Amino acid sequence: MQEDRFPGHRYLPYILILPSVAIIVIFLVVPFVQSVHQSFFTSTAFGTRTIFVGLRNYMRLFSSPDYHRSIVTTLVFSAFVILIGLSMSLAIAHLLNQRIRGRGFYQIALIWTYALSPAVAGTIWALMFAPATGIVPYIVAKLFGGYVLNWMTNGKLALLIVAAAATWKMLGYNIVFFLAGLQNVPGELLEAARVDGASGWLAFWRITFPMLSPTTTFLLFVNMLYSFFQVFGLIDIMTRGGPGDATNILVYKLYRDGFLYLNSGSASAQSFIIFIVISIAAVIQLRVATRKAVYAR
Amino acid sequence: MKRVLVVALLAVLVLSSFAFAEKTQITWWHAMSGSRLPIVNAIVDGFNASHPDIQLTAMFTGSYSETLTKFIASYKTGTAPNLVQVYEVGTQTMLDSQAIIPVYKVPGMLGETWDWAQYIIPITNYYSTNGNLWSMPFNSSTAMLYYNKDLFTKAGLDPNKPPTTWKEVEEYGQKLHDSGVKNVLSFGWPGWIFEQMFTTHNQLFANNNNGRSGLATKMLFNGDFGTMVLGTWTKLAKEGIFLYGGPEYSANTAFKSGQLAMLLQSTSSLSGIEQGSEFAVGTSFLPRFEGYPMGDSVIGGGSLWIRKGQSTKELNAVWEFLKYLAKTDVAIQWHKGTGYFPTVNSAVKALLDEGWFSKDQNYLTAFLQILSGRRDTAAVRGVRLGPFVQIREIERTAIEKAVSGVMTPKQALDEAAQKADQLLQDYAALNS
Repeated sequence: MQEDRFPGHRYLPYILILPSVAIIVIFLVVPFVQSVHQSFFTSTAFGTRTIFVGLRNYMRLFSSPDYHRSIVTTLVFSAFVILIGLSMSLAIAHLLNQRIRGRGFYQIALIWTYALSPAVAGTIWALMFAPATGIVPYIVAKLFGGYVLNWMTNGKLALLIVAAAATWKMLGYNIVFFLAGLQNVPGELLEAARVDGASGWLAFWRITFPMLSPTTTFLLFVNMLYSFFQVFGLIDIMTRGGPGDATNILVYKLYRDGFLYLNSGSASAQSFIIFIVISIAAVIQLRVATRKAVYAR
Repeated sequence: MKRVLVVALLAVLVLSSFAFAEKTQITWWHAMSGSRLPIVNAIVDGFNASHPDIQLTAMFTGSYSETLTKFIASYKTGTAPNLVQVYEVGTQTMLDSQAIIPVYKVPGMLGETWDWAQYIIPITNYYSTNGNLWSMPFNSSTAMLYYNKDLFTKAGLDPNKPPTTWKEVEEYGQKLHDSGVKNVLSFGWPGWIFEQMFTTHNQLFANNNNGRSGLATKMLFNGDFGTMVLGTWTKLAKEGIFLYGGPEYSANTAFKSGQLAMLLQSTSSLSGIEQGSEFAVGTSFLPRFEGYPMGDSVIGGGSLWIRKGQSTKELNAVWEFLKYLAKTDVAIQWHKGTGYFPTVNSAVKALLDEGWFSKDQNYLTAFLQILSGRRDTAAVRGVRLGPFVQIREIERTAIEKAVSGVMTPKQALDEAAQKADQLLQDYAALNS
């Protein structure tokens, strides 16, 4: 019975959760409501004049080819970061889980990327691919008869490079969790499977992968949030949304409209749209994945 | 013993805070990072040392856009600094902000007079409205042509004859190509260089006299002239002569490492380029298109704005600082440390007298370019737009789309103009 936990202190539980609730209300709920409110207005940079425009900010966004393109860019980018990132880190984690010499070294070498700040990671990749001075365009030119690899003018290439950088940056984090998950897979099950004559691949697919599903679900969610929101710094350092908006993902567009172009109405509308999209995606993901995930041992 | 020392230190602290309390405290937010920061700090220290009754605190508040965003937020909450540096594209936003005191009114408010003609005229023209100066020019630069003299010699070109026209850029480009230079030309700040082409050929960039006789409502950059400019650049890109190098200063590295023969870039990069290059650096005026009228290159950089609603004492201290910046030796200190223009006539004379310009002629190039151009039209003063930050990005996007071949120059500019016009109309609806 719940009353039994705090005998004689009916209000104590409420008082105890009050700080958390207050923080959530002050720092999340209030600004959220404010920005929803703001999304129906347009105002001057200094707020000297504010005009109610109804749904105009939303209509403009939905009828803007730039916004459509930004949505597609975000989806492509996220799909790359999540699918390539998770499968690569699972493969690497699987290799790291083998009994090999110098395992500790490899583990650290592959995990440390997560410790880099987005600014440093972005700078490393930007220097590597710098059109006239970078090592990668140099090698490409040597190998392919002087082919000029210039991501400053090639939008698809720029998106690919930024996505690769974002994936690389998150690799360490994913590997840590997969490694922990793999080490929790009971050895007896795999041994039993081997005795029964299952191949390594079959054992992985039928035993290890299902047992990893809680980890995978968690990582799917974290990576989605990462690819939607946290790659902001990387993009700002590497491409600033260019060339020609090719890497202008939703959250970067929002930042530019709100903080660079001082258009708070449109930025508020965009943040509300992203909120809805992410909420729907999260609910679907949690529903589907939780149903399929194997938590029981 | 230790306790005595602590007490003594505390006493000193308390006493000195009393001493400071006598001073007028003013704050200045700026966006000068990197090698410019120590110069700013040296100037501020010099000011505080020579003005014992004033304590000026200068604070680096991030990039230009971050500084402006912070200023807006702080103005709304009543914690804004007395003085703020705003980039040139933020000028119209500040003019319409109702949050500032125009600098031309300040001497009168304090019972003083001030000779505004001592500043370099093209610079004050840029920040003037109806002949009155609204913000104090601080860091002003313009764009010029940098070229690698060694690569010119290697290609059999005269290293003292840089190209004058875009046609020559192409001819030289072919020769440099043949001599083994992979990419000949690049530039920084693509949108700004595009604007430079309009001012140097006396062409209007937006209606209402470049937004100077009223808020601009329509862009003019997608006309014949703009299409011709972007068409030329696209052609050069197809020929492999022009390598699009990205925004701001990203092309500098390639030029400094000798990968590029020519670079169009801000004069504020001069010190960095000269120090970072192992070849002889030449500079000249921006290349011209034949058959178009003469104009002038346009100012870029930032200026200082005085916040509204400060006490006379504070305003007086701010004004003392602005006067200090106009002192000959301070203007020279700023120019030598950063490459930005010295803003007052007396500083130019002193630099000339000491042989600064003959020691390194490259410091004179942009200066002569801007002083020898015409200044009687709105077209050469540069465009003034409300949503300028965004429109400059739109220009850059159009250039990127054209040179990468995604769109024709005309299509890219039309699309850009349509987007920009919408922004201009929204801005006019809010601010008229």
